[in-house]
Amino acid sequence: MEQKDKLFKEIFDSNSKKIFHLCYGYTGDTDAANDLLQETFLKVWQNLDKFRNKSLISTWIYRIAVNTCLTYLRSEKRQAKDELTDNIIENKIEEFSEKNEQVALLYKCISKLEENDRLIITMVLDELPYHEIADISGISEGNLRVKIHRIKQKLTELYNQYASV
Amino acid sequence: MQAFDQIQELWQKHDVEVKVSADEMLQQVKKEVNGLKLKSALNILGMLASFIAIAVLWVFFHFESWTTHVGISITLLAIGVYILILYRDHRLISKSDYTLHPNEYLSDLRVYQLNRYKLYNSLYWFYTVALSLGLIFYFIEILAHLSITMTIVAVGFTFLWILFCSTILRNAVIKREKERISLLIEKFERISAQISMP
Repeated sequence: MEQKDKLFKEIFDSNSKKIFHLCYGYTGDTDAANDLLQETFLKVWQNLDKFRNKSLISTWIYRIAVNTCLTYLRSEKRQAKDELTDNIIENKIEEFSEKNEQVALLYKCISKLEENDRLIITMVLDELPYHEIADISGISEGNLRVKIHRIKQKLTELYNQYASV
Repeated sequence: MQAFDQIQELWQKHDVEVKVSADEMLQQVKKEVNGLKLKSALNILGMLASFIAIAVLWVFFHFESWTTHVGISITLLAIGVYILILYRDHRLISKSDYTLHPNEYLSDLRVYQLNRYKLYNSLYWFYTVALSLGLIFYFIEILAHLSITMTIVAVGFTFLWILFCSTILRNAVIKREKERISLLIEKFERISAQISMP
């Protein structure tokens, strides 16, 4: 058990920041991102014995996080409670404005994307290799490249549109 | 006009702070589960305190009528059985650790929810009837020493108290507990459902 605890702590310390960033990009809300981070690593803890080094551990954790994020907002209760990401972002933007307006705007633009696109672009922004993103999202690399190109364009468009307002 | 590269740079420069550590995270999950366990344990302790208080009353006070002894026996028996049921349910949610055996815990939690439902419905009425019967027997000797007014006040107050516990309080407890367990089950189900497809 001690060895598992130690391994888990190492995995958590080396991956939690990126996973939190992914969850934060997806929800735009610190509390929700913390909830998602917690759920993700709880699953990691429970499945640590089953991990067989077929892929990179970071890829495996990303895949868990992506599934967790996608399931999270689909829960009817949570949708009713949180009124989805848009509103959260709208509320949070006030807190951001003085500190970092541009970052707040970026999160707002990400929140305007489709659920899957949000996760893909977050991984792209974090510079994950395309083959890893393809593996995590279950899309072929060829299709993914096209998709990423489209999402990049859309995000840039949205960003410039909001920045000029 | 910003290009995607600049947006990416902005993203990477934004440093996020993870406020939770690995230890805290596991503790947090355990805390939710422990909250339910603690509540169940407190419930048992409360009932146990009532049992002891009545038993002490029985031992240290000299009651003359057999009806009082029958009344206290019935009351103690009802409370004792209730404690045993509560303890059985408490063991159900205490025996497995969600962080180690999630599916087992989830299945126990579902049984616990069903048991609580039975406890607050059919079993609760047996308990109320037994308690009322015990009090009726107990009051025969006790109320004989009181004036008519005091008798009416004591009987009226006891009746209203039992009525309040069986209706308003019972419904509120059922509603609150149902919501609490359902939320916990919903959360664990959501987590467990994804475990097989990470």
